Amino acid sequence: MIVAFRVGFLILLIGLWQVLSQNVSRNLIPSPLETWAAFRRMLADNSLFEALGESLVVYLSGYSTACIVAIAIGLVMGTIRPVGKTLEVYAFALAATPRVAFIPLIIVFLGLGFEAKVFVVFLGAVMPILVNTYAGVLATDQNLNEMARSLGVSRPRIFASIVLPGAVPFIVVGLRIGATIGLINTVVAELYTAVGGLGGLLARYGNTFRMADYFVIVLSLAAIGVAVTETLRYLELRLNRWRGPN
Amino acid sequence: MNQEASVGRAAPLAAKSEPQVVLDGVGKSFGTAARARTEVLRDMSLEVREGEFVSLLGPSGCGKTTVLRLVDGLLAPDAGRVTVFGGDPTPGPELGFVFQSFRLIPWFTVRGNVEFALAPTGLSRAEKRERAERYIELVGLRRFAEAHPHELSGGMSQRVALARALVTEPRVLLMDEPFASIDAQTRELMQAELMRLWSSSGATVLFVTHSVDEAILLSDRIALMGPRPGRVLENIEVEGLPRPRWSYDVRSRPEFVDLRRRLWERIRQLVLEDPESDFFGRGTSREAQ
Ligand SMILES: Nc1ncnc2c1ncn2[C@@H]1O[C@H](COP(=O)(O)OP(=O)(O)OP(=O)(O)O)[C@@H](O)[C@H]1O
Ligand SMILES: [Mg+2]
Repeated sequence: MIVAFRVGFLILLIGLWQVLSQNVSRNLIPSPLETWAAFRRMLADNSLFEALGESLVVYLSGYSTACIVAIAIGLVMGTIRPVGKTLEVYAFALAATPRVAFIPLIIVFLGLGFEAKVFVVFLGAVMPILVNTYAGVLATDQNLNEMARSLGVSRPRIFASIVLPGAVPFIVVGLRIGATIGLINTVVAELYTAVGGLGGLLARYGNTFRMADYFVIVLSLAAIGVAVTETLRYLELRLNRWRGPN
Repeated sequence: MNQEASVGRAAPLAAKSEPQVVLDGVGKSFGTAARARTEVLRDMSLEVREGEFVSLLGPSGCGKTTVLRLVDGLLAPDAGRVTVFGGDPTPGPELGFVFQSFRLIPWFTVRGNVEFALAPTGLSRAEKRERAERYIELVGLRRFAEAHPHELSGGMSQRVALARALVTEPRVLLMDEPFASIDAQTRELMQAELMRLWSSSGATVLFVTHSVDEAILLSDRIALMGPRPGRVLENIEVEGLPRPRWSYDVRSRPEFVDLRRRLWERIRQLVLEDPESDFFGRGTSREAQ
């Protein structure tokens, strides 16, 4: 039922797009059919897949590194209180700084290549995941903690059975925010460092007013976003199966 | 198991000589420095002998839960000494704790919750499973072994918490108002079940309750606590109510009625004399101090 509504809404959107493309000056908004044709053309000459592949490698490398590093540091900060209390000020400060501001610095240190791009993505995704993981550990149910202590359960066991599962919903929120910022930063990195990938095509088509091609890129980026967030949602459902369906 | 159980408890008096849990002049405060410091216990002393069922009865906030946490070794006293099994208390399988709220792990099944208590024991996986199974059965939740806590009613959750506390077969059982949040019918059944379990296990029980009736029904002795800073004001032996008490209507016995009246009178007096109580000074104190 919901699927039917979603498809219906998509058709509505495409209809709206069609109407807009007919009423706004033709050069700015291509019609859905023109976009479709551009999509077929870019598939045929393989340019879309090449760019997509390049961007995905940058994105997933940066994002997965961020996930591992952020969750690890967040867990350590939450579990070993002195570490957490020492670092949290810096973590929050860094999380609040627009990390795009670091791009010139990154270029100076890492150049314009792959490493620099991955690092820009990493830097964008790492803080929300870290801050959320940290918050998740701190939000541990102290009643459950005390119950486990009273049973004489070991600290590692308490961590694995109570702290970590309790932090999962927080961590997943962090992963989601991180995924979005990571994707944004992928494009930003491709625009500001060596131009390439989907970000590169975006710039090229945008600057030369090839709007149909440009739209194909925008929609591809949206598709990546949907794919990643849906994967995370599936993961979340799997991890929360104990709650039952509701 | 009921009849045999009561018979099985043949030599309680012989075993009842040794003090197993001792609080000696215990003081405990919460909060730091002068700011917002609450003195919860002052000069609190209590002895519980092996196999004895003692209830702590006292007004809300007088430190009953704190006493249990001290006995379990979850807290250390500021003054005085807490001794369990002749030494410092350490949390673990020897001491069972039933908390005021159920404290079930929501992402574990009933079985997982009960088995969790066996984690620190040296039992094999199969033994843990078998033991958990037995106690789940005992509290009547076999059909719900694979259910998660959110699928259980309050009474069922409390039974899981009870099974979790019992599954390690502790020598001392600490119970914090375990039946306060369940309905009256379930409560009666659970009280009878607890008496059966206790009589067959021979465990020492320190039981916290607000209910005078419950205290009389279950206990060998009632330790009456005064308002904060709490301490035991009076130890009242429950006499003239032979066990097993589930085999007759305890509440209609004159001994029960008498004791009930006496306890209520004492509690009323305590509340009226407590300057911190909302009822301070109301009514006329019947007994001159
Ligand atoms: N960890 C803590 N930090 C600060 N204050 C505490 C803490 N634990 C208990 N207290 C305070 O100590 C007092 C006694 O608490 P306790 O839980 O032992 O009372 P209680 O007799 O069990 O009350 P109730 O019958 O309402 O459960 C309360 O005023 C409570 O606010
Ligand atoms: Mg309490």
